[in-house]
Amino acid sequence: MTAPASLHETIAVTLARSFADGEVGFTGLLTGAAAALFGTGIPLAAMELAKRMHAPNLTILLAGCYHNPDFSEIDRLPDSEHSAMLRDLTCEAQMVDYPGQFVLKRGDVSFGFSSAVQVDRVGNINSVCIGPYERPHVRLVGPILQPEHMTLFRREYVMMPHHDRRNFVEKVDYVSGVGYPGGLEGRAELGLDWGGPCMVVTPKCIFDFDREAGRMKVRSIHRGVTAEALQDATGFDLGDLSSVPETDVPSDEELELLRREVDPRRVLMPVHEHGQVG
Amino acid sequence: MSKVPLASKLISLAEAAQRVPDGCRLALGGFAVYQKPMAFVRELVRQGRRDLTIIGSAHSFDVDMLAGAGCLSKVETSYVGLEKHGLARNYRRAVEAGRLKVVDYPEMACWDRFRANQEGFDFWPAKFLGGNDVVTYNSEIKEFPCPITGRRLHALPAAKAEIVVIHAIAADEQGNVVIPARRLLPQSGDVLMARSCDHVIVTAEKIVPRAFIKRHARFVDVPSYRVSAVVEVPWGSHPTPTLGRYLADDEHLDTYVAASASDSAFNTYLDSWVREPADHFAYLDRLGSARLSRLHDLGSLA
Repeated sequence: MTAPASLHETIAVTLARSFADGEVGFTGLLTGAAAALFGTGIPLAAMELAKRMHAPNLTILLAGCYHNPDFSEIDRLPDSEHSAMLRDLTCEAQMVDYPGQFVLKRGDVSFGFSSAVQVDRVGNINSVCIGPYERPHVRLVGPILQPEHMTLFRREYVMMPHHDRRNFVEKVDYVSGVGYPGGLEGRAELGLDWGGPCMVVTPKCIFDFDREAGRMKVRSIHRGVTAEALQDATGFDLGDLSSVPETDVPSDEELELLRREVDPRRVLMPVHEHGQVG
Repeated sequence: MSKVPLASKLISLAEAAQRVPDGCRLALGGFAVYQKPMAFVRELVRQGRRDLTIIGSAHSFDVDMLAGAGCLSKVETSYVGLEKHGLARNYRRAVEAGRLKVVDYPEMACWDRFRANQEGFDFWPAKFLGGNDVVTYNSEIKEFPCPITGRRLHALPAAKAEIVVIHAIAADEQGNVVIPARRLLPQSGDVLMARSCDHVIVTAEKIVPRAFIKRHARFVDVPSYRVSAVVEVPWGSHPTPTLGRYLADDEHLDTYVAASASDSAFNTYLDSWVREPADHFAYLDRLGSARLSRLHDLGSLA
């Protein structure tokens, strides 16, 4: 008897199904337990699963430095980008230069994962400040690599560890990663060749985009979350949610692979005390 | 052979920091929480430097300490944070109070600004900045048409550091700097920075003889003529790591982070760890040999 899928497993499977063979997936090393799980652990598990299912030639690019690292040798994820532990992780290519082996601006990266403090309805993200730029209420870390993630990568998964009204806002206070203002046409007018967010993943739901209209929409709602609770936690109108399906559960085969092969020792997705975070 | 002796560029840490005037545009090497020239930063605080502009690609304890000590007026970078230790709280307070101006740049663009200087250009072109508020709040980034295709581009101003300071594992007295074979991003970033500026100051874990340099000539990525001054500073990036030599001092970083919760607590930290120790070696004595010896990283045998 297989235990039912946890939320994290469900998200990992949803992501895995969306990756194609031969793609290159980039994940940074996010810090803080929730961000690390959503922005690093789950994406790594998803990519490992996809490699075992339908995408054997997928390249996992960790922290921009480590190509196809072997996670079977470690008992926890490194918590710093240039730790000795990460440096010694077996992989297929290790960067000694920056940006290293991948050719960022030519579009080598098929998809990436990022996180942010705010996301808005057109998919802009913000990690710079809350409040006015010159005298912010909260100064955050800065744009980091988000501008590149949202324009030079072919598509982006925005991984939000928290889903509250303050995170999902009508308009972000600072655009550090560009979504679809004015839709696809709007992006073209901004001189952007490709890229942009394809999904926003939260503990409550999965969003995707009407890219023509430049609008985020709810693709599925996670089991146990009501449409009302989702709207209440979101700072903009989600429209009619009555026909939005529940997020697909993993198949038995996917779950078996995740648990027995991808992450048998729960390194990538540590088990939460109740087995689930919702 | 000439009878004129080779010029030594070896100076003290205090002398090196004196070369940085108030108001200087200063680039600090390392990346995020790795291999920051922290001994040099502490010396700037000790000397009471003011109105500095710091330029780089990702910053942490370096900028946070300088912000907490009131040494800064501006920071041009992609990130100021402490990775697993959270937000940089001295920096955050200074920005929120309007005491410190930030000019935000994307991470890759930060490196490109140094590449511009390395190539002798005043700008570097970017084609991915449309719609980003990095442009909205930065009047130094100019939109222009590509002269070949006509497409919209943005010109990122060159970094134009007046002085670059990096921390390396070894250099000789003439300023030949060894970068380890198994380098990582922070070390390759340092090489780029060192090639972008006429006044490069290197703090090195060890001053080595010329014979050592000649034996490792293929790892000398910053040759003597690029370097203005070298300083021997063992544990010179403490409490941040020097990659492959020693690890981050997490115990000390926790002390630092706790102290950065308020201006007064941080001032006490600065008194204890920066102003009272007469110099870097007094700082190391205060840390103690037992603590330092436990931070050694064997690195690699290759």
